Amino acid sequence: MKYAFFQGCNIPIRIKQYAESTKRVLQKLGVELEIVDQFNCCGYPARNVDETAYILPSVRNLAIAQQRGLDIMVVCNCCFASLQKAKNVMESDTGLAEKLTSFLSKEGLSYSGKTQVKHFLTVLHQDVGVDTIKKNLVKQFTDLKISLIHGCHILRPREITRFDDSFVPGISEDLLALTGATSLDWPGRMECCGAALAGINDELSQKLLCEKITGAQLAGAEYITPVCAYCHLQFDTAQQRLLADAKIKKQLPVLLYPQLLGLCMGLDQSSLGIRENSTIDFSDITKLQALLGPVEEKKKKKSKKKTPVSA
Amino acid sequence: MNFNILLGLSVIVCLIGLFIRFSTWFSQGIAPSGSPAFSESRVGAAIKGVVSTLLGPRIFLVIKSFFADLLFLKRTFDKSYLRWVAHILIFTGFILLLLMHALGAIVSDSLFANYQPTLNPFLFLRNLFGVMVLAGLALAIYRRFSSKPQRLRNYPGDWAALVIIAAIILSGFFLEGTKMSSYSTFTRMTEEYGSLDEEETLALEAYWVAQNGLVSPNFAESPSAELVAAGKEQNGYNCIDCHASNRSAFGGFAATKVVGGFFSSVGDAAAVSFFYYLHILACFTLLAWLPFGKMFHIVAAPLSLLTKRVTNDTVSSPANGLNTQMLGLSACTHCGACTVECSSSMFYEYFDNDFILPSEKVQYLKNLAAGRPIDRQTLKRLQEGLYICTSCDRCTTVCPSGINLKELFVRSRYVLLENGKPETALLSHFSFPLALAGNFVDDHLKALKKVTDQFKDCFKSLADFSGPLNLGQTGSGNNESYRGCYSCRRCTNICPVVRSFDNPSEELGLLPHQIIYSLGIGNRELAMGSKMIWSCSTCYLCQEHCPNEVQLCDIFYGLKNDAINKLEAGASV
Repeated sequence: MKYAFFQGCNIPIRIKQYAESTKRVLQKLGVELEIVDQFNCCGYPARNVDETAYILPSVRNLAIAQQRGLDIMVVCNCCFASLQKAKNVMESDTGLAEKLTSFLSKEGLSYSGKTQVKHFLTVLHQDVGVDTIKKNLVKQFTDLKISLIHGCHILRPREITRFDDSFVPGISEDLLALTGATSLDWPGRMECCGAALAGINDELSQKLLCEKITGAQLAGAEYITPVCAYCHLQFDTAQQRLLADAKIKKQLPVLLYPQLLGLCMGLDQSSLGIRENSTIDFSDITKLQALLGPVEEKKKKKSKKKTPVSA
Repeated sequence: MNFNILLGLSVIVCLIGLFIRFSTWFSQGIAPSGSPAFSESRVGAAIKGVVSTLLGPRIFLVIKSFFADLLFLKRTFDKSYLRWVAHILIFTGFILLLLMHALGAIVSDSLFANYQPTLNPFLFLRNLFGVMVLAGLALAIYRRFSSKPQRLRNYPGDWAALVIIAAIILSGFFLEGTKMSSYSTFTRMTEEYGSLDEEETLALEAYWVAQNGLVSPNFAESPSAELVAAGKEQNGYNCIDCHASNRSAFGGFAATKVVGGFFSSVGDAAAVSFFYYLHILACFTLLAWLPFGKMFHIVAAPLSLLTKRVTNDTVSSPANGLNTQMLGLSACTHCGACTVECSSSMFYEYFDNDFILPSEKVQYLKNLAAGRPIDRQTLKRLQEGLYICTSCDRCTTVCPSGINLKELFVRSRYVLLENGKPETALLSHFSFPLALAGNFVDDHLKALKKVTDQFKDCFKSLADFSGPLNLGQTGSGNNESYRGCYSCRRCTNICPVVRSFDNPSEELGLLPHQIIYSLGIGNRELAMGSKMIWSCSTCYLCQEHCPNEVQLCDIFYGLKNDAINKLEAGASV
């Protein structure tokens, strides 16, 4: 199994640990990742300005992956949605597709719809499979309360992202359950982290972020696990300004899913870059390691329904 | 004009140029007018910085940088082998030629007791170094052509550097070749260094014709083997101590095959002096041009790389911040490495604005730093180019000269706000990394305010209407799904943004369902002017929950696009 690893613009410079921990975990599970230097921005940042400018960059990304005969694996939700949107447009909007193709031909590139786009979680859940991951677990968390925030653009709009049941997402929950951690039911888990408004309407952006942090803390969360790169930056970086401005009382530290899973697979915490999350300090690491216990033989009965994805 | 006058002139031009370039390092820069950085003593700050580095523990970084960054070109090596090989070949070949050949009287003479440019290994090495430079140039030219599809731009100045260096090396080879072939040079040398009678001279000549590329009027056909053998003996007595075989100067020797034709038309002595002047003129042109063109990077780039290694892009004093900025601007070689890797490349293709490409931005920013006037149209495009940037920092990571491009670009954005209109791309997610970094917060908010005001001037809000609303057709956009709305208001009820306000109608202008209503009555302008669309967090909850599949979030994006277009169209009229 081999994928072109699409990291987008934020991860390689601001969240290296996300890419690194993902690579480590997948390497152990036999998934090969190829770093493709030619990939450009997914287009997402331009969406407010011009819809075509938003779609074009991802069409080029799809074309580059196709040229290399690889499917794309994405970590960031916004990149994921952009790539899926581009794919969708190329399939269904012939007029626009033609226009976009003319841009590609300048570089001698073309896209015929071959490239598949998969989110990292889908690769784990579907390609590797829950059972294989289970076989690779050496430890499990015994008492760890995690607030998972799915992120908007992985789930919605469902006919574009085609990721999971957009009302009752199961993939992320199944995967989190593997680590033994308790996934809390909390009000903001399917909502917006505020990233899309940062720099445009900071006040509102911060309000949305505050609401998520306090909501998760009220539900008893010790850590928050974002899926999207933007969510991560909101919780791991923007949160610190909220704390400095006393807009929240207590910090809610961030752990990425591959970091949690990596610990359970016996990977070293430093190779997973956990300390590189700016909300994590040394005491968190000690605490996390103390919470790691033997793998529970009994299956935790978690929602394991395979909901058909509505298209 | 003789050699010394030409040399003197080009040295003077070079020195004046260097003085001008150095003085800009400490006088120009990109910072808001009235910034304290301009009033501080820039030279003083630079000297302080350099002295404290050299006397402190950071001297080890300087040493490391000298070997890794300057000699080995590590930053180039890490990114592209092709560019690294090309640059190493040109750089090493040229520097060694400069030291061993051009400055032979000073460097080689003092290092090697038996230095003679006509003896091996020097004769051979001179050719080897020359061929290295030519091979490097060939790779560089190949790259300039082959990277064109990746948006690499070529200026005349880029070619000029390649052409001048090629002219130096090629004229050198041809000069050597003409000298080897020239009968008058041969005669002069035998008279000067040999003690031969007529018969012996003829034999020696025969040997040089057969072996060393000499073209002699006495030998229209190949000389006899006997004569050549006799000449070889003479060569052993008279020449070999000071002159190795011309065949070891393989480049010049190869040139002898080409230059023969020249002689019949201009005469061999004239050909030698032609290539001699071509060679020294090319050298002096490079020397005189050095401070003014991209070759200035041989001074600025090493300093920029050293500074980057020592400061790690965090310069403490504002004055040194500007000094570093200027050093960076003058270290740019327009190699285009940043542009080839730019994540915004497709935005460049779509918006067709050269300033989106980092290599073109940084070239133009020299004008901004120098305080040259910029016309309105260019300013507008420059601003757009500065905003349409994903802040992926690839350009800064990849720059072989170690220029802190991201700092230059971000700073320029906010400096330009002083005299330009704020760019509407400010209202896009390009602003996210800027907000995250938390730099220039006040400037950013000021710019946002300006854009918001423009919107207020451009669009009427619901409260502004005194008479009846326009029910006409103002265009429905290309998303027709709003027609499915049956007014259940599920969208507004589920919206996390609406929920955030005590009085959402007042704060947002129109609520999500009202935007859809506006489209329903054919008043798209009203929807475009509502603050709601710019407050939408794009979470897609409304769209997902709409029982009639109205694509609210997508419609909002369309409205935002159109609103920006209308604003831009209004601004340019």
